[in-house]
Amino acid sequence: MAVIIIAIDALEYNLVEEFDCKNLKQEVYGKTDISEFSQPRTMVLWSSFLTGKNKEKEILSLGDKEMWHYRVNVNETFVSKFKNPKVIDLPGFSYDLEQHDKERILLKKFFEEEDKEKIKEEYNKLALEHHKKIKKEFEKALKENHDLIIAYFSVVDVIGHLNFGNKTLMKILYKEMDEIARKARELGKTVLVISDHGMKAIGKFGDHSDYGFWSLNRKIDLGKPKLTEFKDIILKKLKEDN
Amino acid sequence: MERLKIVIVGHVDHGKSTLIGRLFYDTDSLPESKIKEIKEVCEALGKEIEFGYVLDYLEEERKQGVTIDTTQSFFKTQKREYAIIDAPGHVEFLKNMITGASQAEAAILIVDAKEGIKEQTRRHAYILSMLGLKQVIVVINKMDLVDYSKERFQEVKKELLEFLKTISIEPKYIIPISAKNGDFIAKKSENLSWYDGPTVLEALDSFEKIKELDEKPFRLPVQDVYNFDKRVIVGRIASGVISKGDEIKIYPSGEVTKIKSVEKYGREIDKASAGESIGLTTEDKVFVDRGDIISKKDEKQPIVTKEINAHIFWMDKEPYKEGERLLFKCATQEVMCEMKIKRVIDSATLETLDKKIIENRNVADVVIKTEKPVVVESFNEIPPLGRFVLQRQDTCAGGIITGDGCDNNSN
Repeated sequence: MAVIIIAIDALEYNLVEEFDCKNLKQEVYGKTDISEFSQPRTMVLWSSFLTGKNKEKEILSLGDKEMWHYRVNVNETFVSKFKNPKVIDLPGFSYDLEQHDKERILLKKFFEEEDKEKIKEEYNKLALEHHKKIKKEFEKALKENHDLIIAYFSVVDVIGHLNFGNKTLMKILYKEMDEIARKARELGKTVLVISDHGMKAIGKFGDHSDYGFWSLNRKIDLGKPKLTEFKDIILKKLKEDN
Repeated sequence: MERLKIVIVGHVDHGKSTLIGRLFYDTDSLPESKIKEIKEVCEALGKEIEFGYVLDYLEEERKQGVTIDTTQSFFKTQKREYAIIDAPGHVEFLKNMITGASQAEAAILIVDAKEGIKEQTRRHAYILSMLGLKQVIVVINKMDLVDYSKERFQEVKKELLEFLKTISIEPKYIIPISAKNGDFIAKKSENLSWYDGPTVLEALDSFEKIKELDEKPFRLPVQDVYNFDKRVIVGRIASGVISKGDEIKIYPSGEVTKIKSVEKYGREIDKASAGESIGLTTEDKVFVDRGDIISKKDEKQPIVTKEINAHIFWMDKEPYKEGERLLFKCATQEVMCEMKIKRVIDSATLETLDKKIIENRNVADVVIKTEKPVVVESFNEIPPLGRFVLQRQDTCAGGIITGDGCDNNSN
């Protein structure tokens, strides 16, 4: 497997450190610089990561609702340079809109309605079930002959929004992501773990932080790279490997 | 309900967290909703419940201030309550034990059945020996990883017993367990049908609570003497019970007299016990001053000595070299002393260091030579008179008095 990218929404640098997730940290790791964006928005950040261009203006012009339907032009992305890529559930590319719409509706309901515990239970369950599905797809892809796999995992973001203050729950999820990274590290020549942004505590809830996380299984000093710089980094690796 | 303080030590990967989680889980000592949540999330992720997460929950509670006690967590059996003393690392544990912040009454030493004894196992066992802990259970964990093999258990047990003998630890029980699967924690298990000993909880329940301080011989470190219309000796009772009419002995003078009255908040009371701050008046006019220790004449008498065997934990950046004078403070006693260094140990590695100075975070076996006689006890007998601090300008070390306490017991 040439390149495996574990794209984790809202993976927080400080929690990776606190829970000592060795596989997520890999050989080198750090924070990404997303200061060129006015706000850490999921769709904007992943689309910019794929294309190496700041897509904020273009995506925001679509409006709040339409933004979630946005798809990048594959030829603009580094994915197009691979022969047999597999991209699982990535915002701006192959995103399961229906699933993530359901999550957003429940999140809104949680803050508007009274039976919060019940809604939270339903919300967590939905996120965990989706995670299980994505994990299965990812494990299947690992056995196939792809030269690039990008798997997007949203569980720490979705659950984190309502449960960031529940450290036990967050640790279980981070250890789960660490286990997924371990599997990728066993098979991938180049493994990149990347997040769009991290997460900060707002009381017991979580909100997006203004930096992301990156790690590589090779000793390359990237300092604090911009999210838009990864396209070139990945293509350079691909060239070297060929 | 009676409470026994225990500490669980062993190599970092040998399953300490899982064992603690299992003890809490099997004794229903956790909120049901929390267990349900951990169980459901683990199941949703296609995993078995990991008991180590219980420890994270307890930690979380402590940080949020839900648990009042910040250093201990509790679980219950039908017999009693257990407090697990937090030992995040052996440096902290050693420091807390030696300086008296916590005092374990029993210990569980955990060893991985597959990996066997590791260096950290030896170091932690050594700490138990140093602190004089007698009620020790050894659990050989992760028996599931060695197919519950009796032979492997015997092998590890033999190696361990040989080592423990060299440091004078005789474990009361050596139990094969799987903390992950719950074998021999609260319940016996068919997986280990060849083992006919107790479970971990049965073993813990068989231990004895160290006598409460008020069941021990009476000791009153004198804080002050007030001369109003009468002469009142005041202090906080370190151990034992005192009543009107009791015959007492005052140290170091050795004078004997009878209690005329026991007073608290200016009122006469019949008796007072350990932990209470009281005033005493005596039948005779005796010479007594701050720093003196009062005992009851018909009970076991304290140690009066100028030489004390002790373990100290050095907490000052400036090292100690033999010949330097320090202030020795034990209860209300203050006296200048010097120390003879017998052995110095690095608290992080527990290696014996070949040097005659004691540096920051070193543990040392020393003989303390005081300039005047002091009244002390072994730490395991009467802790308030068995622990002390050493001072320069500020406190530079804490320590405990070991064994019989002294080289020259002049009692």
